Amino acid sequence: MQRALREAAVLLLVAAALGFIYTAATEKGLFARRSTLPPRAAGLLAPVMVTRDQAQLYFESRRAVFIDARHEFDYKLGHIRGAVNIPLRMYETKKAVLDTIPKNWLLVAYCDGAECNSSIELSVKLAKDGYTDVKIFFDGWREWTAANLPSDKSP
Amino acid sequence: MKNLLANPQLVLVSRVFIGLMFIISSLDKIVDPSAFSRSVANYGLLLSWMPAIIATVLPWVELLCGFAVLFGVFLRGSSLLLSAMLAVFTLAVMSALLRGLDISCGCFTQDPTAGRMNWMKVLQNASLFALTMFIYFSQATRFTLSEYLMKSVNDHHDS
Repeated sequence: MQRALREAAVLLLVAAALGFIYTAATEKGLFARRSTLPPRAAGLLAPVMVTRDQAQLYFESRRAVFIDARHEFDYKLGHIRGAVNIPLRMYETKKAVLDTIPKNWLLVAYCDGAECNSSIELSVKLAKDGYTDVKIFFDGWREWTAANLPSDKSP
Repeated sequence: MKNLLANPQLVLVSRVFIGLMFIISSLDKIVDPSAFSRSVANYGLLLSWMPAIIATVLPWVELLCGFAVLFGVFLRGSSLLLSAMLAVFTLAVMSALLRGLDISCGCFTQDPTAGRMNWMKVLQNASLFALTMFIYFSQATRFTLSEYLMKSVNDHHDS
């Protein structure tokens, strides 16, 4: 057992050294110069995160389309007023609802909140489909309702 | 059970399977540590500064241990580390499932469109844990680089 622990310690130390050297040399992860959140889709403008205050400003300015990435069931229970529901898993079948929206309009994707990354994934898909101004309201529905901001229920 | 633990072919097959699996699973994480860091953070179990450190070190632990198990060097240490990691992964996945988190595992790929994890993942991790423990307790040293090196040294001394 002692030998195994010694070997494990050596492996851990070497792995840590390699990990730090590699990420520092390639400026990735911990050593990235700027946040790589969210992933940049080939050649397209990467979606950016917005805070609740910014999301509220977009909402009040009426110049943004909110996209709810959650399941239809959750959407029906409550969603940001006027939001369109495109559950991530049904993106290909549901994205037709955006057909009337010009590609340069501001889209704000959201889902439950910090424990859900569907909004990031949805925004990447939207960017890949040519929407040039996609934002992610990462704190999502939880923050929106916590602040008692305008919402709707669907029958 | 002792027979199984001393069966060199069975141990070799287990080593090749586990070794290759961890080498492959480490590559996506090494290429994109930021995405892996997000996957780790999504579990919501760690302080905010921890996922980046884990994303820096853990993929390399997987890679090194994968090679060590595959080639049979530091076999005890690497299989012990992999067992410990798999135990932690299993608990993390279980905790996420019990809390109803809508996240992907981040185990083999950092592709955000990869499927969501489910209880099969727990079963899969538990099986891998059993296999790494099998390698840890195995007594067979055949087909290992350590054995080959020892043999070479002994042959050199004899001649």
